[in-house]
Amino acid sequence: MIAIWYGAIGFMLIVYVVLDGRNFGVGMLQRLVAKTPDERRQVLAAIGLQWPWHEVWLVAFGGTLVAVFPRLMASAFAGYYLALILILWGLLLRGVAIEVVDHVNDHLWREFWDAVFALSSGLLAVLFGVAAGNLVRGVPLDDHGNFSMAFFTDFGVRGHVGLLDWYTLSVATFAVVVLAAHGATYLTLGTRGPVRDRCVRYARSLWAATVPIFLIVAVESRAVRPDLPAESIGGSMLWLGVIGIVISTTVLVSGLVSRQDARAFAGSNGLIASLLATGGVAMFPVMLHSTLAPANSLSAFAVASDRTALMLASIWWPIGCVLAISYFVFTSRRNAGKGGL
Amino acid sequence: MTTGVSGPELWSRLQFGFTLTYHYLFPQLTMGLAWFLVYWKWRALRTGDARYGQAVRFWAKIFGLNFAVGVVTGIPMEFQFGTNWAEFTRYSGGVIGQTLGMEGMFAFFLESAFIGALIWGEKRLGPRYHLLAAVAVAVGSWLSGYFILVTNAFMQHPAGYRVEADGSLGIARVGAYLLNPWAIVEFAHNQIAALVTGSFVISAVGAFYTLRGLHLGQARVFLRAGTATGLIASLLVAFPTGDQQAKMVGRHQPVTLAAMEGRFAGGPEAGVALIGQPNIASRRLDNRIEIPGALSFLAYGTFQSYVHGLDEYPADRWPGNIELLYYAFHLMITLGTLFIILMAYANVQRWRGRLESSAGLLWILMLAFPFPYIANTLGWMTAELGRQPWLIYGLYRTHDGYSHVVSAGDTMFTLIGFTGLYFVLGLLFLYLVGREISHGPIDVAVA
Repeated sequence: MIAIWYGAIGFMLIVYVVLDGRNFGVGMLQRLVAKTPDERRQVLAAIGLQWPWHEVWLVAFGGTLVAVFPRLMASAFAGYYLALILILWGLLLRGVAIEVVDHVNDHLWREFWDAVFALSSGLLAVLFGVAAGNLVRGVPLDDHGNFSMAFFTDFGVRGHVGLLDWYTLSVATFAVVVLAAHGATYLTLGTRGPVRDRCVRYARSLWAATVPIFLIVAVESRAVRPDLPAESIGGSMLWLGVIGIVISTTVLVSGLVSRQDARAFAGSNGLIASLLATGGVAMFPVMLHSTLAPANSLSAFAVASDRTALMLASIWWPIGCVLAISYFVFTSRRNAGKGGL
Repeated sequence: MTTGVSGPELWSRLQFGFTLTYHYLFPQLTMGLAWFLVYWKWRALRTGDARYGQAVRFWAKIFGLNFAVGVVTGIPMEFQFGTNWAEFTRYSGGVIGQTLGMEGMFAFFLESAFIGALIWGEKRLGPRYHLLAAVAVAVGSWLSGYFILVTNAFMQHPAGYRVEADGSLGIARVGAYLLNPWAIVEFAHNQIAALVTGSFVISAVGAFYTLRGLHLGQARVFLRAGTATGLIASLLVAFPTGDQQAKMVGRHQPVTLAAMEGRFAGGPEAGVALIGQPNIASRRLDNRIEIPGALSFLAYGTFQSYVHGLDEYPADRWPGNIELLYYAFHLMITLGTLFIILMAYANVQRWRGRLESSAGLLWILMLAFPFPYIANTLGWMTAELGRQPWLIYGLYRTHDGYSHVVSAGDTMFTLIGFTGLYFVLGLLFLYLVGREISHGPIDVAVA
């Protein structure tokens, strides 16, 4: 039961990163792939009408997390205080920028909000990357399951760590490049003419750049957390994740090479999802690792709600998911032509 | 008497109070406007009258801006349960998380999937689907209201829970939690209050255009819908919903009721103060002018009923800020009464066919729109200040709930940041809505 909820919570977060991550990528690349105001409008239009629905995955993740893992929410959100508030401000600026940029037909207005969109998207990609790095590296949890963390301490990865260190910054770099590549791949679908050509070029070079960064991060991860993957899980789940990564990469590369944009984009979605899922499986059942003492780490079993609460959530959550996805499919079909999926 | 509040607790409380008060300026209009959009869209489909379709297009633009600000200021609310109220989340997450999660799964996905279609999709999607989008957004926004009010009702009057072995709360009876009588009453009162806001805003825009001599066909539609709904909603918000809410407080939070009235000594035939200033030090209401017996009647049904006074309770159970609570409650009641009088008069003039020629009344309608926002805010201040010193009434104190690991410096920094961002956001919103209103519902061929 608790393992299933670990999966469900992870699923929501992964869906969020896959969906909204491409919007961050689009934001970061907007000024690079679009040289004229009209081209920038084309890029913004490619985000489509559905981005609030993407963002709701994060909100629904937060709400569900309170229900099923309240003690994790309490420890992690209070511990990551400043970083999370910065994410909230980034989301606020990003959302406002997308909403208001088209309201006033004035080039200074548009330039300002395009810049806000680009900067907040970049900030969010960095912060989510840092957050992912922190999840792997661990945080200085004490024996009450609490921690509080400065932005940085000595940039080391042991003991009283800060939010930023050489490892979390490496992961953040990886996240920025991957999400930019993801955004570029998505944009090849939604744009045309010279913008599309630039997106194709960016997608190829950015995906190529992810390979060395990934290898570096993989080696670093091994050094930071030699205990991973945790022994408690069956190897089969982990192998599924690895197979997912291999298949997605193949699909992505073949799509990029053969200029099959939709195939490349499917590969891009699959690759990000399977990378995150593999990481999640490797860490199970620990949800928050302690850099001070392994015994302080918070496992899913220790932070979960009681059985009744989990049972109750097991009733409404799947229904909510099915409804959420059916609204999306329904409106996407009706909206087809303006943004679409 | 009151616990000294300082450090991170103070800043966390101020931050939550500020960001929530600010946030709720937007959803109340979203929830208030949503059913107007549904109604006009339906009228447009039924009658083919172009004015209704135009009304939907015009208000959908304002709705969209309002919705966007509601969303971006709403996300921080949910996250603050974890960032600023970690101990509270740890204690009660297994209960309140249920409705926070349901709100995301059942309400936000629905709203967010259809909002784009409502605002931008009319031409592409056709009128029936556009109506469906309006209904979906309206249902989504009201569902969201319900789930969040169930959460609040649990904090006001906990129901359906049990205490687990580790001391935290778990859910015991789902029905009792989701159908908490407090939640039902609070939902009715709050949603109708949102309709009051919507009605006043629509009336104000109608009055503005009429006074300007612009868009008169539209203005008539706005004034009719705004004042008719405004009267009904202003009446319902007072009776039965406000009345029931006060009875609920009297039954389950008698200390709060005493503090709301500045009533120190208990006794029968308790009055409602029309004028008076609470004086905590000397334990009385200064310069008191009251309607005798009214409080006894309102809270318990007879003029002779006994109403408790603050003196009957230990001071550590008193709400922390009695003066503010007293003024919030009394100003809300005063404004609510004025709303009924204004809207009743406006409807009389409309039935006599004189509304559009009554310049004085139109001026008042135009300038009145901020007051329902103030009344809604005062209502929430009454509810939340009245709940103090508890986070969950009778179970868990506010003092125990804030995030102990977050420093005062961090919370003060983020409060300053929120204040600055929200100030700029407010200017931006007023500028863009002002543009839409001055632009007007123009592409209509109706005089």
